[in-house]
Amino acid sequence: MLTIRDIHKTFNAGTVNEVRALQGVSLHVPEGGFVVVLGGNGSGKSTLQNAVAGSFFVDGGSIQIAGEDVTRWPEHRRARLIGRVFQNPFSGTAPTMSIAENFALATRRGRRRRIRWAISRSVRDELRERVRGLRMGLEDRLDSAIGSLSGGQRQALTLLMATWLKPALLLLDEHTAALDPKSAEQVIRLTGEIVGGLGLTTVMVTHSMQQAVNLGDRVVMMHKGRIAYSFSGAEKQRLRVDDLLGRFEELRRREMLDESTAALLRESYV
Amino acid sequence: MTLMLGALTIGLILSLLAMGIFISFRVFEIADITVDGSITLGAALCAVLLVRGVNPALAMAASFLAGTVAGTITGVLQARFKINPLLSGILVMTALYSVNLHIMGRSNIPLLTAENVTTWADRWSQALLGVADVNVFGWMVAGRDLGILALVLGIVTMVGVALYGFLRTEVGTAMRAAGDNPQMIRALGVDVESYRILGLALSNGLVAWSGALLAQYQGFADAQMGIGMVVWGLASVIIGESLTGSRSLGLAIYGAIAGSVLFRLLVAMALRWGLNPNDLKIVTALFVFGALVLPTWVGTWRRNRTIAETAKP
Repeated sequence: MLTIRDIHKTFNAGTVNEVRALQGVSLHVPEGGFVVVLGGNGSGKSTLQNAVAGSFFVDGGSIQIAGEDVTRWPEHRRARLIGRVFQNPFSGTAPTMSIAENFALATRRGRRRRIRWAISRSVRDELRERVRGLRMGLEDRLDSAIGSLSGGQRQALTLLMATWLKPALLLLDEHTAALDPKSAEQVIRLTGEIVGGLGLTTVMVTHSMQQAVNLGDRVVMMHKGRIAYSFSGAEKQRLRVDDLLGRFEELRRREMLDESTAALLRESYV
Repeated sequence: MTLMLGALTIGLILSLLAMGIFISFRVFEIADITVDGSITLGAALCAVLLVRGVNPALAMAASFLAGTVAGTITGVLQARFKINPLLSGILVMTALYSVNLHIMGRSNIPLLTAENVTTWADRWSQALLGVADVNVFGWMVAGRDLGILALVLGIVTMVGVALYGFLRTEVGTAMRAAGDNPQMIRALGVDVESYRILGLALSNGLVAWSGALLAQYQGFADAQMGIGMVVWGLASVIIGESLTGSRSLGLAIYGAIAGSVLFRLLVAMALRWGLNPNDLKIVTALFVFGALVLPTWVGTWRRNRTIAETAKP
């Protein structure tokens, strides 16, 4: 369960580069809910996710995950509750370390790490089974450096790592945007299987409207640091890509109107 | 032969330094110049304690701990105060110069009369071999020198195995990941900054231990002995990588040790063939420069050649 209450974030406050990235966002995702966050560049969708993950502290508002107020928790502490997959396939794994070692790290997510062998036999056996489930033939390459794998393979492994210990919240940050169409499709299918299978509470950021239509039980559309539209329930089920395009067009027109009005005002009064 | 034996022993002693540098340079990709100060710190503290009659093993343990403190300070400057890694190292190294002079009370402490590990090695080899000189492949070698070599080899093996084991524990793998991909390991719940501090502490602990052994072997501790040691360690690590490759962790650690020994042997030969000892540091620096730059050049040259060949009709 995730509850976000009226969070604000301004980067470079008080300088010419000031960016008001989040301007009062509230969002509630119930236990087992799957929200897809959609938006253009600079809409604040990734900032929202980073705020939840704890990459920075918000200026105002509060964030609750699984009943705990994590607003002032540093990122590494929130990791106990959050499984995360990044946009860049290179971000989610340690490239010079083996597949097995990467998973050994993931099996201790948010837990105390001790002076004992990282890779135990039981972890290894379980790992082989779960990796076999990916049907990528990686179960026989557990000792290869993960950096030698393709982006799609790494992203699939990252997804498996993030959900090895069932997270209270799964964050997917445009996790297929950097992949070729075939790998993207594979990773999306895997995402559906894992999220559905474990009943994970999930927030997925994407700019693919097709994904937004196909996945999740709620779509949230962000614009200029605010939630512009939200579709859930039957409305979400009926949603088509064309509907979303229409809404985007609407936002764009409204914005152009704002700009032309501003230009008019400037011409008349400045 | 005595010369070679000496080079081998010093090479092994400095391989503790190389393993320390391996942690900071290869795990965290920091050129940590703190080691120039912490190797002297280890030597100075050990020398002072030995002169006061402290057990050599305890004196070396104290040196190791002092080194970890120095590394911790560098780590805290980087992690908590967000000071550039290189600058953090320079600050601590500079401060250590004064600290070392205070510890020693003067700039040089001779150890010739104090009981230390070389006297132990002397005694053991006498007891074991019963004679002062031993015939090794036709050369007469002092049993004492062999004893010291065996002792140092034992310590280095032990440290190498322990380091390898540690880097494969839960804490050790997290530390390697903290250097390899901080973003990823933070998302898995690791406080990257703390691990960086831990790594630098461990690294400088090994370096200080190396200094303690070096002081005992050469029979004195000197305030200037740390100058250029970081470059020395980098050279060893780089040579080691070209010997063993860096694919596997065990080979990389073994490589650091072998690189240190090989480099010392090369230097001993160069000095024997008439290299001016004053030129040693510049040669070392040039060597590291070459080792850092050549792989890129060779890579570019190869790529260009492949492109040129494929472009041919």
